Amino acid sequence: MADPHQLFDDTSSAQNRGYGAQRAPGSLGYPAASTLPQAAFLADPMSNMAMAYGSSLAAQGKELVDKNIDRFIPVTKLKYYFAVDTLYVGKKLGLLFFPYLHQDWEVQYQQDTPVAPRFDVNAPDLYIPAMAFITYVLVAGLALGTQDRFSPDLLGLQASSALAWLTLEVLAILLSLYLVTVNTDLTTIDLVAFLGYKYVGMIGGILMGLLFGKIGYYVVLGWCCVSIFVFMIRTLRLKILAEAAAEGVPVRGARNQLRMYLTMAVAATQPLLMYWLTFHLVR
Amino acid sequence: MAFTLYSLLQAALLCVNAIAVLHEERFLKNIGWGTDQGIGGFGEEPGIKSQLMNLIRSVRTVMRVPLIIVNSIAIVLLLLFG
Repeated sequence: MADPHQLFDDTSSAQNRGYGAQRAPGSLGYPAASTLPQAAFLADPMSNMAMAYGSSLAAQGKELVDKNIDRFIPVTKLKYYFAVDTLYVGKKLGLLFFPYLHQDWEVQYQQDTPVAPRFDVNAPDLYIPAMAFITYVLVAGLALGTQDRFSPDLLGLQASSALAWLTLEVLAILLSLYLVTVNTDLTTIDLVAFLGYKYVGMIGGILMGLLFGKIGYYVVLGWCCVSIFVFMIRTLRLKILAEAAAEGVPVRGARNQLRMYLTMAVAATQPLLMYWLTFHLVR
Repeated sequence: MAFTLYSLLQAALLCVNAIAVLHEERFLKNIGWGTDQGIGGFGEEPGIKSQLMNLIRSVRTVMRVPLIIVNSIAIVLLLLFG
């Protein structure tokens, strides 16, 4: 197994060799289809200098962007959430549809940092939510198309509507976490990942609704709603509730009770939103 | 169901405006939510009420100037585009 600190396989050496050969300014790396006037143009020393200057400007600009991008979008943190492989995705999807037999929900840590999702099925990732969101928009378009209600701008409307509900959920949960003063290591991106897992159930419901009509839709949606409810409760319990309560000891005190209510509320909104975002697509 | 990101922005702007116009002396003191009435004991974690009061006070102080700017932009946009 690769070093757990390394999120992705390192293929940079092959790339560098390829770039080094092409970086030399004025090189004849251009396709052989260049005709004689173009070759003469390139051999002119002025354009050589201009090309060298242009490429150095581009390199500087790229350096600047690379240095500053981390301030606006936490690229390095995002990479952790996309370090997945097929086995993880398969196990996670199985967990989303059937979380009842899974025993250990703790995320393994390695020297203070959580292990990459590739190595621990409990770790949150952004790959499944992102793919599920896009698939949801496409499946919604498919559902509308089979009912002759489709028009291209409806796709954009579905996408922005689902995104707006997601944003609203994240803000509401962040606000309630602040009000209840929970000291948790639940980051915003973690929260987006957890809230994005419900799209998987929604896709299942819509597809079954397309195949088997309303009965299939309600059966599969009901199953996915209960599964997501259990999944969210078991996952969030470890993050929000205090450690003592997470081990199954009955909650004591007003503070723990408040946190339990918060966990239940977050988990209960998932089925509601799953139904709200899909019922108009299945007739 | 036309719940777009733009309507979310509008709703957020209206909510922040609503929090910013709560007057300290005329209203908050009368319902016991003034900033000098909430300081709980030191060391115990603050309850929800004092967190809310802190939130209201900080929204009022921090967002006063940005709200002026954003409201003006919203007014202009609404006048132009309806």
